[in-house]
Amino acid sequence: MTDALSIRGLSKTFGGKVAVDNLSLTVRAGELYALLGPNGAGKTTTLRMVAGLLKPNGGEIQVFGHDVLADPAAAKRVIAWAPDEPMLYDRLTPLEYLEFVAGLWGVPPEIAMPKAEELLRWLGLWDNRGERCEGFSRGMKQKTALAGALIHDPQLLILDEPLTGLDAAVARQVKDLLQARVNGGATVILTTHILEVAERMADRIGIIQHGRLVADGTLDELRARTGEGQATLEDLFLELTGGDEAPAESLPA
Amino acid sequence: MIAPAGSTLWLLRHEMRLTWRRMTERRGRRRGRFASIWITAAFLVGLMLIAGLPLGFALRRVHEIPITPLSSLIGAAIVLIAFTLMLSQTLAAAVDALYERADLDLLFSSPIAPRRVLAVRFLAVSFSVFALFGMIVTPILLPIAVMGHPTWLAAVLVLFCIVLAASGAGLLLAATLFRLIGPRRTRTVGQVLAAVVGAAFFLIAQARNILGGAKTASLFSTIMQMSADPRFQHVPGLSWPLRALLGEPLPLLAAIGVGGGVFLIANQVLGARFAADAAAAAGAGAGGPRARAAGRMRFVASAFAATLSKELRLIARDPALVAQVLLRVLYMLPLGFVILRQAGQAQTLVLPGSAAALSLVASQVAGSLAWITISAEDAPDLLSCAPAPTRTLRQAKVAAAVLPVAVMLAPVLIPLAVLTPWIGLSAILGCTASVAMAAMMNVWWQKPGKRADFRRRRSSSWLVTIAELLLGFVIAAATGLFAAGLIGWALIPAVLALVGVLMLSRSDAQIAQALRAAS
Repeated sequence: MTDALSIRGLSKTFGGKVAVDNLSLTVRAGELYALLGPNGAGKTTTLRMVAGLLKPNGGEIQVFGHDVLADPAAAKRVIAWAPDEPMLYDRLTPLEYLEFVAGLWGVPPEIAMPKAEELLRWLGLWDNRGERCEGFSRGMKQKTALAGALIHDPQLLILDEPLTGLDAAVARQVKDLLQARVNGGATVILTTHILEVAERMADRIGIIQHGRLVADGTLDELRARTGEGQATLEDLFLELTGGDEAPAESLPA
Repeated sequence: MIAPAGSTLWLLRHEMRLTWRRMTERRGRRRGRFASIWITAAFLVGLMLIAGLPLGFALRRVHEIPITPLSSLIGAAIVLIAFTLMLSQTLAAAVDALYERADLDLLFSSPIAPRRVLAVRFLAVSFSVFALFGMIVTPILLPIAVMGHPTWLAAVLVLFCIVLAASGAGLLLAATLFRLIGPRRTRTVGQVLAAVVGAAFFLIAQARNILGGAKTASLFSTIMQMSADPRFQHVPGLSWPLRALLGEPLPLLAAIGVGGGVFLIANQVLGARFAADAAAAAGAGAGGPRARAAGRMRFVASAFAATLSKELRLIARDPALVAQVLLRVLYMLPLGFVILRQAGQAQTLVLPGSAAALSLVASQVAGSLAWITISAEDAPDLLSCAPAPTRTLRQAKVAAAVLPVAVMLAPVLIPLAVLTPWIGLSAILGCTASVAMAAMMNVWWQKPGKRADFRRRRSSSWLVTIAELLLGFVIAAATGLFAAGLIGWALIPAVLALVGVLMLSRSDAQIAQALRAAS
């Protein structure tokens, strides 16, 4: 079976600073993969290269067998990218936004129309479909952006910090939606700083630091690797990234 | 002297610093900022040499300006024109202050009284509008004052009083609109009203062209007629604006009283309500303005059509942009009437010039719209991660900029082509060329940014703005000559324009590289 994502030897530098350093990882089709790492570890840069938003300095990326660098349009057709800051237009309504995104992906109207209605109803935005996004709360904006990401029924959904700033109810709704997509056969890659979410939802977890993958596998595999059978993901994360070595005396009073 | 924190002076210093940074920000990097300072200085010196010094020499033997009904009316007209032009700016600023809140939440959450915040914000607006007008008036007045009329410098003070009055009036107008039509519509109506007020005097002055020579007279001849009218001989206070401009103490004090009074009353009356209005303006979006009948879907499976539709919607929902385009349309109205009347009377002498002017207007409007549709993009990543080719998206954005121009020009160009086919054809060719030039320049030299930032960052660079304007003039010259039947002569500016456009062209790879470097 073709992997959803295959990255080999990926590198990216900004000026002299190495953001991603010879990174290789594989995400299998139909799994929910959590990419974790400290701030500035290179998670977003990696995912932006996968989404075709950044050109790598080296390496190769394949999405369902499509080479992102050689045939970006084919890869983009099956990907949806949802960053932490929703990609929205304040002066468009959610419905108009979905019309636009569906047009960009060339979704036929007979498919897009019922899909838009289904998504907006499911996300509780149907009653707001004629209102401009400028007055929406962060959660509503995030949900609108998510609806846009799903309108073309992507095989690979990439989300960068999808739960940032969401209240508990909206966060639950987003998590349910992601789980439903995975159950429906789609592949989801997400980054998050909320480790409990990754622990509970992810089939496999990748931990990245200084642009390199330092660990990759199921939670049990990560535990086996560190030799801590009952450790939480937070413990494992801190141990693998060296985050537990922060000096206590530096804490403010 | 350091003003104590929280005082009016301290707050004013903060506002002026922000205003200065916004003004210099338009010019981009440090080098550009210095260039803009040099260009401004050169403009001031140039104005002094070209207008100030000759006027100073000419007026040095004039003992004093006679206070007659005619001179009084001219003085009053000057003050009124300045007031309407300034009101246009201050009204737009007042509407902005309500909606583009920036740091208002921070200021209102501080212990500083909202009245003081409002007073300082509008004082800063007054200073920036005054700077604009003062930059034109002072270099002319200064040599005149030095060469024998020092009291005339009072005109600068009167100018500041007019700005203060215009600020107060702008604030009152915005607040009245807010009360009458609510926060959702105030923004659009306010911006459009500001554009109409700004063009009001021009339109009145051009009434003769709009309505026809037999029906109205020119502004100056109207003033002449009015001054001869015995009723105007004894209008109390009619000569005061002129006397104030010339520096007579009592009228000058009255000007200070009126300007300062209107400003203070507006702030006094509205200060307490301003915070509430601003909060209501912010909350206006919470209900979300309904864009159109909910539930109507217009899905299309084409990236071009979807992008075109999105851009047209965003243009229509951008009050500042609509006001800007409307202003150009208002300025074009007299021109359109002149053209069609002349064409109807087969007076083809004036028409080539009008065809040239149409082409210039077309390039200006297309340039403004193309700059917004191409460079102002709130979700660039969405477009980048879509499978649609960049070229298709760009073409849709250009089409969105060109369509409103075509709609605007069609009512003039089509009848013109029917009445005088050659002139009409020339105008259509000229407009097409100038619109294409403006669109290409904005594609080649695009500078992406958020839509909300674009009112402050009008142009990409001085070079491109000036080049676009110059090329617009050169194409207009070619259009005029072509329309006049001087085809050989028309080739010279046409070739010049072509060379200019080619020199400024960029390949897709160069554009992509520039965008990468900018991001």
